[in-house]
Amino acid sequence: MRGPIGEVVPFRPMSATSEIPAAYRNAAGDRGPIRLIGEGISDIRSRRRLVRYLVQADIRKRGADTLLGNIWWVLDPLLQMVVYVVFLSIVVRNGPPDYPLFIFSAILPWKWFSASITDATASIVRQEQLIKQIQFPKIVLPLAATTAGVVSFAFGTVALGILMIFFSDRISPYLLFIPVIAAVQYVFTLACAFLVAAGNVFFRDLGNVVGHVLRLWWFMSPGLYSLASLEQTGLMQRNPALATLAKANPFAILFEAYRMVIYGTPDGPPGPPNLASLAVLLVASTGLLALTTIIFKRLEPNFAKVI
Amino acid sequence: MAILRRPPKIDTGATHAIGATDLGVRYDLRFTRKTTIRGSLGQMVGRGRADQFWALRHVDLRVQRGESLAVIGPNGAGKSTLLQVLAGIIRPSEGAVEIRGHVSGLLTLGAGFDRELTGRDNILLGGAFLGLDDAVTRELLPSIIEYAELGDFIDVPLRTYSSGMRARLGFAIATSVEPDILLLDEVLATGDANFRAKSKARVIEIVGAAKAVVLVTHDMNWVTEYCNRAILIERGLMVMEGEPAEVVELHRVHTEEARARAAEAATAAGVDPRIVPGR
Repeated sequence: MRGPIGEVVPFRPMSATSEIPAAYRNAAGDRGPIRLIGEGISDIRSRRRLVRYLVQADIRKRGADTLLGNIWWVLDPLLQMVVYVVFLSIVVRNGPPDYPLFIFSAILPWKWFSASITDATASIVRQEQLIKQIQFPKIVLPLAATTAGVVSFAFGTVALGILMIFFSDRISPYLLFIPVIAAVQYVFTLACAFLVAAGNVFFRDLGNVVGHVLRLWWFMSPGLYSLASLEQTGLMQRNPALATLAKANPFAILFEAYRMVIYGTPDGPPGPPNLASLAVLLVASTGLLALTTIIFKRLEPNFAKVI
Repeated sequence: MAILRRPPKIDTGATHAIGATDLGVRYDLRFTRKTTIRGSLGQMVGRGRADQFWALRHVDLRVQRGESLAVIGPNGAGKSTLLQVLAGIIRPSEGAVEIRGHVSGLLTLGAGFDRELTGRDNILLGGAFLGLDDAVTRELLPSIIEYAELGDFIDVPLRTYSSGMRARLGFAIATSVEPDILLLDEVLATGDANFRAKSKARVIEIVGAAKAVVLVTHDMNWVTEYCNRAILIERGLMVMEGEPAEVVELHRVHTEEARARAAEAATAAGVDPRIVPGR
């Protein structure tokens, strides 16, 4: 047993690490898809602590050193809602009743998604220095970015609570479905996050593309309007294929579900979400997650070279 | 073609800690830094095969337990690439590498992990990145703080640190692990004279404790003094392997030649040879 030498080196020898003692690496790096998914899962399991620290760091950073700190997370979606309400009350005269709540039920989940994807896009490239110096599973970076978004979503529900005071007649037990819908959204977000994070390593301008795609996606999704009103437009009625596509949009399913439990319908109170379409989305998202995990793990060995 | 998942083992039962066979690392220049989508599309349409560059090729290497191997060579020769392969950061494009034991690399000492976090949080985060058990990191925490000589700054965000403080913290985190195999890349050039002496003592201590050391350095005194073997890498190829003094000598001769050639080329180009940079 080696000990520290006097005062100069006040270190004790390490007793344990979680690295594998013997490693063998060669050029034949082609691993099967099942094995890649397995590796991805074990990467995350073995580095749960790292994910937690990264999430905590992210939250602390966003909260610290700003005038209002975490209050921003509550104010942000509310202010965005006010902007849309003011703008749309000028353009569209007769919107659905209780319009603020109507659009807020979409703004809340969308802010979570767009912030997570934006953060995930930069998550790997931002750690350029570290990736060149330490071997660690890179998959934890987009995972942490997405998971940190859950916390800001949770703060957003505080904003929802404040807003509901003004629309108290729409408060219902169906609000308890929000975590269920959010869980489906989390799986879908994670699947997208892995893809954009890995892609941005190879194409540094992917961030710009992602920004525009997100903006377009938001306006194409029934957030500021209902899916029913979208289907009534001439364009959708002439093109049934387009209408099917609009309905298959994951955020059409998610927004409709959130709106159903928070707002209800323009003429009716809140009710249960369409669980069948949520289940379909969950299955599809899980499949997508498996696919993007494979893509991520395939590309991962090249990160240190390219970055 | 059948994929060979476990190619023939490198002589089993041997005492080596690191074994590399016909190691090669190829860089695809199509995907070098800051590629844009437009650029890549252009390349895909324009040229069929992208340019490739071998940063390292045909490297055969054995490092026995208890050995300290120096890797020397000019800038851009592939020394750091070799360390990155040994650390597992880069997967070899050709050949194979076998590592027996815990590896820790002090590759170009990091400036910490997150500028917005306090020194204390950086130690915890750093430990998690290095794959240490959280209990171990927490146990090491007081000694790391003491070693880094940060005082009350330990609970202040890293961005307020001076570069010397940051280097001390990075060094303290990286050397808190006692590995079987230690990889060092020019780590002795940071900090003030005081800390340099202290860090040198620490490195010697780890070198003494580690089962094998691979060190990249431009400090030839260090090579002849502390290493028992050396390799010279030039343009990705292993030019020589042997006694440190002999390898250092060859490196010196080659450097002289390169300088003479550069001066000649400069004279031919009509530039005053006295202002040619480089040593």
